[in-house]
Amino acid sequence: MSHVINFSVKHLLPVTKCYLRGNFVSSFCKYSSASNSTSNSGNVLDNLTDWETLSKKKKISKAMKAYLERAQEHDEFMKKQQQEFAIGKRHLANMMGEDPETFTQKDVDRAIEYLFPSGIYDPAARPLMKPPEELFPARKAAEFDEAGRPHHLLFYTGKPNFFKLLYDAADNIKQLQNFEDRVIRKKATPDPNGALSLEGSVWLTKEQLEQVLVEKILDLEYDNFKVVMERLVSLPYSYRCKDFIEKYRNTLASQKFALEIPKPSYDDDGRAFITTYECLRKKARGDVTIRSPGSGKITINGKDITYFEDVQSREQVLFPLIFTGMQDRVDVECNIEGGGPSGQAGAIRWGIAWGLRSFVEKEMLEKMQIAGLLTRDHRRRERKKPGQPGARKKPTWKKR
Amino acid sequence: MLSRNWRHLCRRYSQAVTFRTTEASPAQQNEKQIGLFYTMNQETCKQLFSQGGFPKSFQKQTKTFTETAIMIRQPALDLINCIKSSDFNKPAIRYVLYGEKGTGKSLTMAHLLHYAHEDGYLIVHVPWVSEWLRRLPRSKEMSNSQTHEGCVDLPLDAASWLLHFKGQNQHILKTGELKVSKEYVWSKREKTEAGAPLAQLVEHGISRVKYACDVVDALIKEIKTLSHNKQCKTFVAIDGFNSFFYPVTRLSTPTKKKVKPEEVTLTTTFMELTKNDWTNAVILLSADQLAVPDDHQESHFPRYLLYKKGFEHLDPFVPVEVGRYSEKEFLSCASYYRDRLWLRGPPEIDTELKFTSACNPYRFMEQCAPL
Repeated sequence: MSHVINFSVKHLLPVTKCYLRGNFVSSFCKYSSASNSTSNSGNVLDNLTDWETLSKKKKISKAMKAYLERAQEHDEFMKKQQQEFAIGKRHLANMMGEDPETFTQKDVDRAIEYLFPSGIYDPAARPLMKPPEELFPARKAAEFDEAGRPHHLLFYTGKPNFFKLLYDAADNIKQLQNFEDRVIRKKATPDPNGALSLEGSVWLTKEQLEQVLVEKILDLEYDNFKVVMERLVSLPYSYRCKDFIEKYRNTLASQKFALEIPKPSYDDDGRAFITTYECLRKKARGDVTIRSPGSGKITINGKDITYFEDVQSREQVLFPLIFTGMQDRVDVECNIEGGGPSGQAGAIRWGIAWGLRSFVEKEMLEKMQIAGLLTRDHRRRERKKPGQPGARKKPTWKKR
Repeated sequence: MLSRNWRHLCRRYSQAVTFRTTEASPAQQNEKQIGLFYTMNQETCKQLFSQGGFPKSFQKQTKTFTETAIMIRQPALDLINCIKSSDFNKPAIRYVLYGEKGTGKSLTMAHLLHYAHEDGYLIVHVPWVSEWLRRLPRSKEMSNSQTHEGCVDLPLDAASWLLHFKGQNQHILKTGELKVSKEYVWSKREKTEAGAPLAQLVEHGISRVKYACDVVDALIKEIKTLSHNKQCKTFVAIDGFNSFFYPVTRLSTPTKKKVKPEEVTLTTTFMELTKNDWTNAVILLSADQLAVPDDHQESHFPRYLLYKKGFEHLDPFVPVEVGRYSEKEFLSCASYYRDRLWLRGPPEIDTELKFTSACNPYRFMEQCAPL
């Protein structure tokens, strides 16, 4: 009898094996575990319904494990840093004799500058004390679940965020084109007021984009990004995805000086005037007064424009006036001393341009800014070096 | 050729109304023509200024423009009116032109010379005093004076000036009405008799360069007496007169001694001429910064340039300031330069040029040159 049973078992097993392989191989291979493979007896369908609970019991993947370890380590590190920073800040507040509770980051910066005065040229190289969140770069969150399966559909491209961005841009283009088709079918025209103006902003630089995406990208990829975005912007209805576009643009800080323009005061004759002190260039120092309405009279140290002998200096003085077209609408008075003619002329030029801000329109102001009229020239004479005849000039080279 | 002439004519007369006047006689010009250019007759110009009289840059410009056009300006008109209304029986009035560098003192003088020429004056014109005292060309010749003790002669300069004088006054000298009043003995064999025409005296100076300085001296004295006796009326014009009063000249004797201006015979002669002890004459002088070296150019006023000595020598005189261009004059000049293609480009550059040249006529001309 036992023999019979043995036989039957022998012959049965291969059949069950085949059965198992044929139907469930795919699922079992992926999530195979020792406990599952042994329970070949019983109902197979039961195994299928039990999937959810089974996966929970499973061990986490190695990648996930490693990630978790790293994350934990980082968290601990940050915690420690934060504690140290808090303690350090309190110490600093005590040292400076201030209340540690109300000691802000601004106070910290000031205290550091006071306690560790530094003449190092590059501000980034000077001593600092910042909260650790600012100092240590952010890390990417986990990109896959515990089972090791990625969240993101583009995970296997290696740069999911970047390619998602390209994908979104292309998607937007498609949508806008569809919209355009629909508008044309309705025989309407695009709304002229809705046109997107990108005058005051530029695309993010490569570094900034990398920071936003938390991914390193290549130059070529950055170029691709710009090409796609330009294409999107060039569409007539691009204003519909304004939010998307503006996420990747930087506004220019052009208007920052516009806020500080002083209002002119009025003298006894009722003429508006404005005085710019500390007009500096090279060794020349002086002040410039501009009076508005005027007849184009220029007074430099009590003389007229003949104070300067050469044409170049005269041109320098006149340039801001001619550039703004105010040459016969304002009077200019200057007191200038020190330096030579070109330095004095440069100082007066800057002073006139700086004073004219109060008398010109906003567009002209921007033009002046672009023309470099409002920029101070900080260059100074370079010192002569020992062992050579000038600052850079080397002695004549003689073979012997 | 025809088309070119046609174009030329069109260009000449299309804008003629705005900056030109056809009134070529200085005596007829009036206030309405201030700022306008008049063209000087080629022959007159050649007669008056062939030996100098225009500044060098202007001379070049006349060649470039193929015409001698002078702007009618306020100081010249004032002077003409003054001369017209003054009494010639009274001692000669001295006018001193002054002004900044390059404002047109010499050209005002040239304008006045044209007037004097038209009006039949005997012209005694020194184009540029510094030419004698401050310029040292290789051919400069100096000799000790025979007649004046301790003085030096500049025979070549004197002779060339006589030539200039002869050229300017050829129509008066040709008539032979002006006679020498007394006999001049130059050497054993050479003498100029009393009653000889003035032209002979001048000729003698030119041909016998050795006596040129003495001839100039004699000539000036003759002219003074002649005009005092109402035989002719004289117009004296000396440009860069203040050069006579600068303490030293560039000349030096063979013994390396620096010559003072008083020790040059020509100086004494022309000092004599500019005294107001004679009548029937107009004396026009100019005080110029350019006539003296750089160390004495701080101011353009006559008191500074003429020193105390010169000021007292000339006192009393009528100062006449020659200023920079006014608005109207500048516009007229700019359109004249545009007509002559001396200035090209968009009209906006006019304002810029006006500022950078500060309305100084010479600077304006120079700055237009590369445009």
